[in-house]
This record gives sequence, structure tokens and C-alpha cells, in this order.
Amino acid sequence: MPARGLGFRLAVHGAGSLVLGFLLLPIFAVVPASLNQGSFIRLPPEAWSTRWYARFFADPEWLTTLLTSFEVAAIATAVSAAFGTAAALGLARTGGRLRAILTGLILAPMIVPVIVTAVALYYVGRYWGMTGTVAGLAMAHVLMCMPFVVLNVGVSLRALDPSWIRAAEGLGASPARVFATVTLPTILPGLFGGAVFSIITSFDEVVLSIFVAGVQAKTLPVKMWEVVRLEFTPVLSVASTLLVALTIVLFVLFRLAAARAQAAGAGR
Amino acid sequence: MSARGQSVGFAGVSRSFGAVRALLPTDLEVRAGEFLTLLGPSGSGKTTLLNIAAGYLAPSTGRVLVGARDVTELPPRRRNIGMVFQSYALFPHLSVFENVAYGLRARGMGTGELRRRADAALELVRLEGYGGRAIRELSGGQQQRVALARALVIEPDVLLMDEPLGALDRQLRQHVQLEIRRLHRAHGRTTIYVTHDQEEALVMSDRIAIMREGAIEQMGAAEELYRWPGNVFVAEFLGESNLLRGTLVALNGVGARLKVDGIDRVIDGFAAAGLSVGRPAAALIRPESVRLAPGTGLKARLVETVYLGELLALRLSLEGGYGVLCRRFARDGLPEGETIGIDWDPRDVRILPDEARGASRREQSNTAEREV
Repeated sequence: MPARGLGFRLAVHGAGSLVLGFLLLPIFAVVPASLNQGSFIRLPPEAWSTRWYARFFADPEWLTTLLTSFEVAAIATAVSAAFGTAAALGLARTGGRLRAILTGLILAPMIVPVIVTAVALYYVGRYWGMTGTVAGLAMAHVLMCMPFVVLNVGVSLRALDPSWIRAAEGLGASPARVFATVTLPTILPGLFGGAVFSIITSFDEVVLSIFVAGVQAKTLPVKMWEVVRLEFTPVLSVASTLLVALTIVLFVLFRLAAARAQAAGAGR
Repeated sequence: MSARGQSVGFAGVSRSFGAVRALLPTDLEVRAGEFLTLLGPSGSGKTTLLNIAAGYLAPSTGRVLVGARDVTELPPRRRNIGMVFQSYALFPHLSVFENVAYGLRARGMGTGELRRRADAALELVRLEGYGGRAIRELSGGQQQRVALARALVIEPDVLLMDEPLGALDRQLRQHVQLEIRRLHRAHGRTTIYVTHDQEEALVMSDRIAIMREGAIEQMGAAEELYRWPGNVFVAEFLGESNLLRGTLVALNGVGARLKVDGIDRVIDGFAAAGLSVGRPAAALIRPESVRLAPGTGLKARLVETVYLGELLALRLSLEGGYGVLCRRFARDGLPEGETIGIDWDPRDVRILPDEARGASRREQSNTAEREV
């Protein structure tokens, strides 16, 4: 590419920064808002304070919902990881039309409007008595989380040379041993990525949770939604900040793991 | 590593993929300790036969025996085979040592014995001290040797190798050929080696089975195949050959006479099996058997001379459009374009059936099976 003038580069970088700022800054607005001393959300804050953080962690209801969110995310992610990996392995062995149909079915929850899924799950959940339970909500979240595992594991499965499997079999390894020593290490980056997306998705999910959770299994986003409608308090900004922080931490972890996996695979 | 491995027997083994017959019913006995090469072009069925021996592919018909054990129904992990893949198939997430130790761990071997055996295997392929390295840090030739060590360390009944030198450059390939031959002499394990490269086959093998269109065309020691090829395909596949094609005019047990197409000349030579008078045949004269006979012999124009160091390669053309290669020790240079005479000792001539101009083997066999 020919070298561009300084002015041109400044213009491109400037425009890019503006767009990025427009997209991201509103999200980070919750951080100063959560540190505001006053009772009304105001930007920039008139005086800094951590009193709303203290309020958040002192309130049993906020803490309970946070704990429920962790519980639901943990169960949904574990189930998604197990079944999603099995599905990805199965899809890799399936050919042609069947594979296309199955992939479409598994990914459907990402495409079908969430509100439709939510209403449907509400009826089914009522019928089976699964509404209002942590387990029931976690199962609902699996629908949304599993596609991420299937996609990510599917991508890393492409790096798996079928001759490694055959070599391991030839050397005397049982199917379980082949999976543990050859397949699993190869798909681990994808599995980790799928799990991270799964946790973030479950933590962030509101619509399904409102329909399926009821009062007994109230998650953090549901509580936030209620608070927005009833009492507008800066504690909301604290919860938002915590969610953003969790997302950033998980995403950075995922990128680090992916970079490590890439370095290990380079020059193969 | 004192055991020499087991014999391998194929009895009526065949394999079809849908309507495609990759391997026609084949009988083959590989002796214990023998280095047997399956040599043939791609699609000749050699890799199919190897994969059936390994258990990666089930035969459509027939039985596979390792020693006295019928392994036809056994999965690869119960066969005690060592396989070296063309891509090496080393595990990239494991160290060199862990790659070599993989088969021992799968057998539940204790730490001390495992370490001793894996180190001994690395020493065997001259990679002592490389155990802690990552696979990607090794050169292609070193990776090849790790694959070999990993296959040998489990003391397999049979060592199977699928074009293991295909990914190496020419110079390295020649070096590794000699290395594999040295290793075979040292460990003495039954080996089935698949390649399409005749040089590899000649350097390493005790016996060579030449395959074509899903069947073994001819099997024997390298010298036997080179000196007594059974047909034109084998003659052309192994070594360089001058083939003068024509029609068989006379046949008596040992000798045969061929009338060459396009030249007013008959050629006498030793008869191969399967000849019949009036059918297409070809006279095989190896380049080293062609003599220059100034004044006498067959008139030939010298098209090109190539100096190969100790040898001189001459390309000649006969009337009737035949090209003839001649190789002789380099003495005086010969001027290109000159017409000279060539001849040969009839004892160096083989008269072979030239069934390439008839139906292909696979079609014949299909017909035969339909009749049965």
C-alpha cells in the first residue's frame, strides 16, 4: 500500500475513534454514575462516593439475585458445555443434509425472537412445574447458551487432524482415552470460548428470566429491570458496573487463552 | 527388542467402496521379520491393503492374520500394530517424549519402565535429549523419526508405514531411507511399507509387491522384479526400460520371437509367462544392456547425450519412431546427430505380454466374477 499523508491518517483514525466512542461511551457512563454521591443519577457526578456500592452489598435482595445469577450461569454453562461438545462432535461426524438440518435446529434459539421462546417456555415450564426454580431457569438458559458452545467447539474441531485419532487408536488407546488425550486438548480453546460466551449470555439474559423465573429464581438483570420501573436509584448503576466489569474480565481471559492456544498451535 | 514381530497373512481380502472396487480379492503372506513394500501408482489399492492390516478399514471379504491370530474383527487398539503416517500424525500438544510414551501409557506401564523404554526408542532414532522439545520445534526429518520411535516403542507385531517419506525433500529422503533400513536391520520387525517411489522400494525392501488397479501384479525380490518382470506394466514401473512393441511370432518354452511393429526386424529373447503367438507383446531391453555396435546392428540416430559423472546416458531414435535409452560408462564423448549401430545380447532381452493394449485387469476380473 502506498504511504498516506499524515492528514489522511488523522482523519481515518479520528472518524474511527468517534464511531467507537459513540458505541461504547454510553455503556461506561454507568461507572461514574455509580460513584455519584447524590441520590439522582447525574453526569458528571457532583461529588464522588462509594456509598451506593455499600448499599448494594448491604442489601440482601441484591445479593440474593447476584447469587442466583451465578448459580443459573454455572448450571447453564456446565450443561451447555457437556451437551454442546457432544453435539459438535456428532455434527462433525454427520454429513450432508442431515448436518445442515441439525445445525439449524441447534442454532435456532439464536434466531427465533427471544420473546417467542420465552412465551413457549412459560407454557411448557408451567406444565412441568419448572417455572420459578433455579434449575428450570438454567435449562431455559441452556437453549440460548448451547449454540455458542456448538459453534466454538465446531471451529476448533477443524484443527483436529483425523489421523491423530487413528494414531492414538493404533497405539492402543480406548475411545475414552482418545477423547481425553487427543480430542479434548484440541478443542479446549473452543470449549473455553463457548463457556465464556455462555456465562455472559446467561448473566445478561432478561426476557426468558422474567417469564420463567418468577420471584423465587430472580436473577440480577431481572431485579435491575424491576428497580428501573419502581425506584430509580444509583444502586442500579452499581449493578450495571459490576456486569460490565464481569464481561470485560471474562472476555480478556478468553482472548488470553485464545492467544496462548494460537501460539501453541503455530508452526505445526 | 529381540522379538522379530509376527507374520501377516491376507486371505481373500478385498474391499469395495460402493460400486468402486478398491482392492480385488488378494492373498499375501508377509514373513516374520520381513520388509515388504507395496509399490504402485495412486489408486492401485496399496493404502487400502495397509489400512485393512491396521484395522482402520474393514475388508469386504477375507481374513487378516497376525501370526496365528485372526485379527479381522479386532479394532486397531487390540492389534498391537505400529503405524507411521504420511503426515506423521504426531500429537502437537504433547512433547516429543510424551508422543513416544503415548502407546506405553495406553498400556498402563509404570513410570520407571516407561521412561527407560521411551528413552531407548528415542536413542534408537538418534534423538537422545530431544524428549522435552515441542513437536513444532523439530524439522520434518526429526518429526519423521519421532513418529518411527512412537510406533516402535510398543514393540508391535507389525510395523506399517504409509508413504512416510512423502513430505521430505529429496536429499533428506535418501538419508532417511538408509536410516529406516538400518533400523529394520536393528529391530528386525515385520514391516509393510507403502510407496509409489520405486527408489524407496529398491533401497529398503526384502520383497516388493507391485500393485495396479486393486491387485498385486507381481511380487518378488527387487532384483527378480527388475530382471524378470512379468509384463509391460511391471517393467515400466520398476527401473528404466526400452520397450519395442509388436506381435509374437514364435514361442518355445524358454524363448520367444517378436516381430516389431514399424520396423522390418524380429527380436529374440527369454519368454515371460502368459504369451501366445499372434498376440501383442513387447521386447524389454534395459538401458544398460544396449551396446553400441558401429557398422553393424540396428541403425540408430544419436539424439542426445547426457553426462552423469561416471555414466553417460544416450537417447537414440530408431526408424519407426522408437526412442531407445542407453547407459554406458563415460569414456569418449559421442557427437549428437550421428547415426550409429546398436545391438544387444539376446540373453538380456525379455519378451513380455503387452496386455495394456487389451482390456484392463479390473474389467477382466469383474467379468470373471460375473461368470462365477
